[in-house]
Amino acid sequence: MKPDRVAQTVAAVEGEGLNTLDRSLVKFVHILRHLGVRVSTAEAMDAFAALAKVDILDRLQVKGALQAALVKSYHDRQVFGRAFDLFFAPPEAKEERSRLRRERQAEKERQEQEAESRLLGEIKESNRPWAKDALERLHLTAEQKETLARIPQQERKRLAELFSRMQGNPVNNPSELIARMIGRSLDYWYHRMLQEPEGQDSNQSSGAAPTGADELDQIIEAVSAGPALEQEDDSILHEDMKNIADRDLPKMAVLIKKLSRRLATRISRRYHRSRKWEKLDVRRTVRRSIRYGGAMLDLRYKARRVQKPRLILICDVSASMARYAAFVAQFIYGLSSVVRGIESFVFAEDLERVTPYFRHGGDFAAVMAGVMGESRQWGQTTNLHAALETFLGSHRRLLQPDAFVIVVSDAKTLAAEDTARDLAEIRRAVREIIWLNTIPQKEWKDVPQAAVFREHCRMFECYTLAHLNRVLRGQMPGA
Amino acid sequence: MHLTIDELHRAFEKEGYICERDLVITVFLALQLGKPLLVEGAPGVGKTEIAKVLGRVFAADLIRLQCYEGLDENKALYEWNYQRQLLKIQLLKETCAGETAESDLFSAEYLLERPLLKAIRAEKQVVLLIDEVDKVDEEFEAFLFEVLSDFQVSIPELGTLVARHIPVVVLTSNGERELSDGLKRRCVYLYIDYPTVEKEMRILQVKVPEAGDKLAREIARAVHFIRSSLELRKKPAISETIDWARALVALNADALGPEVIGRTVGMVLKNKEDLDALERQVGVKEVADYARSGLAGGGKA
Repeated sequence: MKPDRVAQTVAAVEGEGLNTLDRSLVKFVHILRHLGVRVSTAEAMDAFAALAKVDILDRLQVKGALQAALVKSYHDRQVFGRAFDLFFAPPEAKEERSRLRRERQAEKERQEQEAESRLLGEIKESNRPWAKDALERLHLTAEQKETLARIPQQERKRLAELFSRMQGNPVNNPSELIARMIGRSLDYWYHRMLQEPEGQDSNQSSGAAPTGADELDQIIEAVSAGPALEQEDDSILHEDMKNIADRDLPKMAVLIKKLSRRLATRISRRYHRSRKWEKLDVRRTVRRSIRYGGAMLDLRYKARRVQKPRLILICDVSASMARYAAFVAQFIYGLSSVVRGIESFVFAEDLERVTPYFRHGGDFAAVMAGVMGESRQWGQTTNLHAALETFLGSHRRLLQPDAFVIVVSDAKTLAAEDTARDLAEIRRAVREIIWLNTIPQKEWKDVPQAAVFREHCRMFECYTLAHLNRVLRGQMPGA
Repeated sequence: MHLTIDELHRAFEKEGYICERDLVITVFLALQLGKPLLVEGAPGVGKTEIAKVLGRVFAADLIRLQCYEGLDENKALYEWNYQRQLLKIQLLKETCAGETAESDLFSAEYLLERPLLKAIRAEKQVVLLIDEVDKVDEEFEAFLFEVLSDFQVSIPELGTLVARHIPVVVLTSNGERELSDGLKRRCVYLYIDYPTVEKEMRILQVKVPEAGDKLAREIARAVHFIRSSLELRKKPAISETIDWARALVALNADALGPEVIGRTVGMVLKNKEDLDALERQVGVKEVADYARSGLAGGGKA
């Protein structure tokens, strides 16, 4: 029997190894990986096995099969959905997308060229003696050209003004200087724009690396350029708290409260988390054994006494912590509303006790308005030494062997050596000092105080809610 | 357990589990590939119910391992029945058969099977539900994915026990913490979101038919509005929507007015903070308006 045309075409295409199912799947996995979805080889093989179990002509089934095998989180599910719809599209749609991309590319190149010519023209028209030499020395890279086309109008004007003011001076070699200045300025803007992709949400797959293959890159670009991905309730967990947008603050408040509640229930847990909680109570076991003729049939275990550790919260509200003010405020409020008997302090140039404001509960805005209205510390310079001296002078009675001191600060303070001495003194009197540092750990080396303070406390990076969650889960054992 | 996707979908609906087709496809694939099904989603969206429904659909026993912080292998896998062993020793003392006793004491007879071992040694295929796996410690999670990859366990005194039938495994997680890549890699993943108004209405029609279409629609809209418009400590679960519908039926309510909502909203919002949030952020009147019209602000321009 003569094979039909479709079968012949499929056989021909597959024979060339161009469009086989496994090849398409590999391409699709490649796209997902470039969009930040972590797909292992094992998962790719699972996807292939899953495709064999469904009707390959049913789009919903194919999508379901690939999704089940390749996607492992809420965020990835949305990236997958967009990538799938674009990748498994009819050839006409793909062709149209490709055409639009080529047009965009051409427009981008035109804009870059225009911006470059304008810049070179401005240098030339400045009629400075160094202009000709500067033009010869100025060689913009592809990134710099792209940046030049994208930087704000104002910055472009500022650059033009700079060379109009630049005076020729044989000593400072102005042509070299101006060429270098333009290059550096564009490099700065390039990195700044990378960090703050315009109009994109941080949860988006921004900055997805291209593959170099046109077919794949157009999908990666289209997925990245799409509208912001829908946020899961706890998607702000991994967001740097200084970047959490105002609209997400209520969400952050709910999460902090949830995490605080976890801490509260954790410290009132009856048993220690350790596997050793089943400690045999020999005395009671022997007594029980009497009724069984001495056989230790009924084993009795020691239960740890319920003992809630005291919490002392000392939060930095100085100017350097201003970007984290919302977090600090929510953290004090959240912890105070769920952990009974907590003592809270804020400090900058000195220490102030804020416990009474939180004692009677009440609405967050009202409580914080009270605290911030009365306090003289918000936004001042940091002197933790002075603050701890006040603490030791007026609140020493709080330092009990079962107390945890939680410090929230970026560790940027005056009088580091004196502060370390105070910390050592407090450390001797309490169970633990836990320092939540809003600076990423990899940057601690640039803050010399951090190394000095770490000798007396356990310091954790804590600039996302996920960090806070980890610290509260792992570092605050029940008493 | 060989069902097509359509048959499985019908079986789920027959068991009262109203769901989309893509959910069924994922469950179908987990069954077909013999892989554990990892279900994530907010509390109360029907994660645990999937395991129960699978048990009913396949007439298989459901074995549940409820996870909590501090759960260890003794509680999840097996323990030796110490008291029984001790009694045996006491009895053997009198017969002086000490030498043969040792091997007897560590036989299956003295083994206390915990859920994982019970699922592995079951005579016929069972559904194993590992509920709230995000609550266990990381070490236990590592142990768990070892068990789930091979479906065998080693008991030093007995040797390796291999599963007679690979159980259908359903793991659920509320997303309290990120699960390890290792565990996720071994599973087929399913995320369940809160239902749409239409889906929740269908659920109500199946579970509380006496509520009628109009009330069911209003309840589904009201709950959707509460979930999406308020910053709540705990969003209402589907089971709470059902409870609310039953309560309204018991009160002979045929529509959701502000007064009725005010009196019964405690069925879906169960702490003071959330009740305050409702009052402060939108108010019962707006919920009632949305329930009636399906439009925010009661449909006003």
